[in-house]
Amino acid sequence: MVHALREIQRVLIHNGILIDLRPVLDRWPIEVVSARGVRGTGYIQDLPPGLADDEAANRSMAQAEQNEWFIRETEDFFPFIYSWDTPSEMEEWIEEEWEDFIELDEETKQATRSAWASADADARVQVKVKMLITRWKVAKES
Amino acid sequence: MTIQTDSEGSEKKHLHRSADFANKHVLEIGCGEGRLTWQYAKETRSTIAIDLDADALRVATIDRPSDLERKVYFSLAKSEQIPFPKEIFDIAILAWSF
Repeated sequence: MVHALREIQRVLIHNGILIDLRPVLDRWPIEVVSARGVRGTGYIQDLPPGLADDEAANRSMAQAEQNEWFIRETEDFFPFIYSWDTPSEMEEWIEEEWEDFIELDEETKQATRSAWASADADARVQVKVKMLITRWKVAKES
Repeated sequence: MTIQTDSEGSEKKHLHRSADFANKHVLEIGCGEGRLTWQYAKETRSTIAIDLDADALRVATIDRPSDLERKVYFSLAKSEQIPFPKEIFDIAILAWSF
């Protein structure tokens, strides 16, 4: 990843901007949402490979900063919401798309199914993925 | 399966808060099927979006709106070897996939 950051610095103009946009694991909350309100049902379980990926990305960015390729300008977190019609759709998605880095425990699955079943007909299930966006400025000419 | 993503538009809002894309030459690394590309590309002078997934790039090219055909290009390339000369982009977006 450090090599990629060096390449990015090479193709950016002096004072060019790098925007680093990525999800970070942090026990993302699960909610059942309807017109009547929002009900939290539990949290995603972070898995070691996913946490290791986050750490590797952080290390690479820190290395690029230490090498004076980029200067960190701003950093912010925001929620990116994934939403499904039913709990089973959410479970299917997590098992198929996110299985390498997160999982759902049985207790949370049950709590979500139960909350959804007792909610209004318009109820949906959502996961609030934590996103990190960082703005970096090229620190020196390639 | 009916899935919705970012119905509140938070990503687009934060992206535009981070940089002014107007008339800029932009490189996006890890564009996948172009989901993020469509959030900003209209304002740029040009956008080159790269990825290692040929199938995803095919989808992105098919999905590309006709008004962006002359300024948004997708390319199969890896981030460790970006196939462009030095100092030609104003903004790079490193879009980590999940």
